[in-house]
Amino acid sequence: MRSRFPRFPHAVLRTLLPRAERDEVLAELEVEYVQRAGAYGRRAAGGWAWRQAMLSAPALMRWSWWRGWSGFEPRANAYRPGGNVFKNWLTDARYATRRLRARPGYTMLAVLTLALGIGGTAAVFGIARPLILDPLPYANADHVAFFWRPGWWNEEEYSYLRDKFPGYQRVAFYRPADVTMRDGNAPTRLLVGISSSWDLFDVLGARPMLGRTFRSGEDVAGAEPVVVVSYGLWRELGGTPGVIGQRITLDGTPRTVVGVMPRGFWFPDPAVRIWQAQAINPQGRNGSYALVGLMKPGLTVPRMGPHVAALVKTISERFKYGENGDKTRDAYVKPLRAELLGKMTPAVVATFTAMALILLIACVNVAALMLGQVEGRSTELSVRAALGATLGRITQQLLIEAVVVGLLAGIVGAGLAFFGFRILAQSLPIGVWADSARFDWTMFAAALAIAMVAALVVASVPLFSLWRHGNLRGALSGGRTSGIQGRGGRLERGLVVAEVALAMLIASGAALLVRSVTNLYAIDPGVRTTGIAVVDVLSSRSWNGDQRIRKLIEAVDALKTTPGVRSVATSMRLPLLGGGNSWSEVVEGRPANEAVFTYFRIVSPEYFETMGMRVKQGRTFDPTDIAAAADTSHHAMNIVVNEELVKKLFPNESPIGRRLVGGFDWPQTIVGVVNTVAEGALTDKPEATVYFLDRVAWFGNGGSFVIRTARPQDAPAVLDDARRTIQRVAPEFAVQSVTTMDRVLDKAVGPARQIMSLLTLLSGLALVLGAIGIYGVISHFAARRKRDWAIRVALGLPGSRVIAHIVRQGVVLALMGIVVGAVAAAALTRLLSTFLYGVSSVDPVAFAGASAALITIGAVAAFVPARRAGTVDPARVLREQ
Amino acid sequence: MRDEQTPLGAFEEQILVAVLRSRDDAYGMEVRREIERVTGRELAIGAVYATLDRLEAKGLLTSGRAFGNGAGGGPSRRRFALSAKGARALADTRAMRERLWQGVDVRRLLSLARA
Repeated sequence: MRSRFPRFPHAVLRTLLPRAERDEVLAELEVEYVQRAGAYGRRAAGGWAWRQAMLSAPALMRWSWWRGWSGFEPRANAYRPGGNVFKNWLTDARYATRRLRARPGYTMLAVLTLALGIGGTAAVFGIARPLILDPLPYANADHVAFFWRPGWWNEEEYSYLRDKFPGYQRVAFYRPADVTMRDGNAPTRLLVGISSSWDLFDVLGARPMLGRTFRSGEDVAGAEPVVVVSYGLWRELGGTPGVIGQRITLDGTPRTVVGVMPRGFWFPDPAVRIWQAQAINPQGRNGSYALVGLMKPGLTVPRMGPHVAALVKTISERFKYGENGDKTRDAYVKPLRAELLGKMTPAVVATFTAMALILLIACVNVAALMLGQVEGRSTELSVRAALGATLGRITQQLLIEAVVVGLLAGIVGAGLAFFGFRILAQSLPIGVWADSARFDWTMFAAALAIAMVAALVVASVPLFSLWRHGNLRGALSGGRTSGIQGRGGRLERGLVVAEVALAMLIASGAALLVRSVTNLYAIDPGVRTTGIAVVDVLSSRSWNGDQRIRKLIEAVDALKTTPGVRSVATSMRLPLLGGGNSWSEVVEGRPANEAVFTYFRIVSPEYFETMGMRVKQGRTFDPTDIAAAADTSHHAMNIVVNEELVKKLFPNESPIGRRLVGGFDWPQTIVGVVNTVAEGALTDKPEATVYFLDRVAWFGNGGSFVIRTARPQDAPAVLDDARRTIQRVAPEFAVQSVTTMDRVLDKAVGPARQIMSLLTLLSGLALVLGAIGIYGVISHFAARRKRDWAIRVALGLPGSRVIAHIVRQGVVLALMGIVVGAVAAAALTRLLSTFLYGVSSVDPVAFAGASAALITIGAVAAFVPARRAGTVDPARVLREQ
Repeated sequence: MRDEQTPLGAFEEQILVAVLRSRDDAYGMEVRREIERVTGRELAIGAVYATLDRLEAKGLLTSGRAFGNGAGGGPSRRRFALSAKGARALADTRAMRERLWQGVDVRRLLSLARA
């Protein structure tokens, strides 16, 4: 009979009907089915059966939820075993909640420990998601590749190669071009921008939200200047469709807005707010461009090899390169994502790994706590087992308790993630991405998901200890009377070893970074960075050199009158920012192949003094140079050079009075030599540098004011005054950023410093968690063997021996953990290798430091319970038992 | 304890009446069939069970099994009966309905329904 009732509806009803009645109800339904099949046919009866099941399901599910929750059980059902599953779970959840409430200390410790790990992991996940997981906002993202040496290409090369790129449908080029925007009477603002060939958006496959992107022909000289703005800038301009066609004044020139990019679009990073089509000068040799191309259909980055080779051939036939900047060498293409986000990936991955390790430590800690709880509950569990509880039922109980702890920790963790998120984002070396990172519901969901996984990990340990014995009785026997050696404890010891190993991983990583950062700070940048305030400005591109220098001098004079300021100078580019602005210089009269790579810097007279540089020979710029510069009839160009240039060009002679040729059309006379400064990156090898007086030359439209304060600690304080002064005296300068030289040095030391502070914090956390773990397990051991110790002390063993023995236990566990951790660390610290400077990723000093910290922590954590055991009165302990 | 009863829902009322009509044979399946017979609508057994249980929880119904009377000597079906409280609630509901209908011109209602 039953086989004729449709199977699925039968199963649904069987699952959902109350157990006490389901068999009789199903039997009657089957009878009715047969009747109906006879009367109306099998199809109609089948339909009826399905309707019975489907229409019953919602009512029955509501009913079981409500009945389970209210604890209501019809009296008639009380005689039947079983009951519905839902109700079991709810009973267990209520029971777990009661138990947790009755042990606030244990609950707080478990929830907070887990919440730390969960919150941190969720926050890092939130930051990492847009960088690593989210798709890029370009339709062609998978088919676009960057060319080697971004920031090195020039207009001449691009103009020549434009239609000759093999393997590409189209290649666009762009460079960063920040612009000043004047909007009515508001102070001039700086917009982070890009200036590009017309086809940039077509290459990326990006569509505008309003208007259009650039058109062919808009990147030639004489075309109407057009710009595309970001969604954010569009909102600031009014946020109406009327913005299209509007003219805005950029760098003193009116430009027409032709398009608005949609919200969420960014290229090449989220700070960029304006894209302008650039008039390309086919003879322009000023190279600071990047090339990005859309590959022909069917081609991928790994298959571009032959095309790159063909391109190199074309380049080498047309262009000749010197030693520095040879574009025919190391040619390759790089996928879009790797180029745009690749630099940040190691930092994010390293942090994520550290965070996940913390979470794992927290899990291990809570698992050890729960294991202790389970052993402490052996009487309760034995009673339940005696009353008929099965292993499955107790498993369920433990699981639910872990899940309740997990849920609480998930909620607290989401709160921690919410608050810690911004701090974390700012302390990671991800630049503007930190500002665009946002806390959203996915992070909350992530916290809860992580919490559930953590809860399962946590529960697995006590469950393992239960199941190991195969049955409940075996697991629970022997809880009361332990022998001389005490019971097992291998699992607990294993947990502590695992915990110490994980802590060792994080601590050794942090130690490596500390060593690396110490090395970086030990490099002498050549300037005294303390006590220097920096204001970066940008002037209108339409200015000529005279206008600019007049305003610069006025601004410097005004800044000197600011209280607390000792000296003020300007420079076109500060040291430690990674180079730029270089050419080659050669001694006058010598062949061109003796030229050396040289940075050139245009500075005001007081620059050397303000920056704390030392004069090695001759003099720096003085009034005679200024007077000579005022005389425009002849170009007497006096220069100051650095020691490195002297070492390279005048190894055995005095450079004073000698003349150099390079860059400008007329020769330059050396009047002085100063110490070598890290004009490029901090870790670059020393490079030759020439300094020009700002009255005789100018270059570009950016510049920095450097302000040395009378008291070093005042440097940040004068920044606001300085900004106001510049805006008052020279409103045409857009203040780009204000900072201090100390900050510039910090940034030069780079991402390692930021990751170091984060990892140090995390390793501190790991050590604390590790200490709690060791303390918990050792005190558990000590308490369980209290009786043994009491007997031995009664027989004459000194208390100090007891303490020594227990502490030794703790130290041995820590040592085992350190060995395991060190092996894992040796493999894992390679993740950090991009941040390391002057330190190997298996640096013995760092590892020794981390080990020492962990052994100390292990000994201290074990000492507390050891002392308790060693100083106990044996008579009392023996009476108690 | 005061008998402050929320008014019965329409389905609850049907179920209670059906229990009353089935007299001694008021078990879940029978209640379902009884309502189907009278209303001519098909009813899902799950909805009937859920409501019967809810009514018992509210104290409007009682249920129980007589031992040894079922087929094969096991416990019989779970049978429902109105409690005093349930009877009062049903009577109240009926009285309230009759008060509502008093003074309604039934002929007018029927003519409206025909229109």
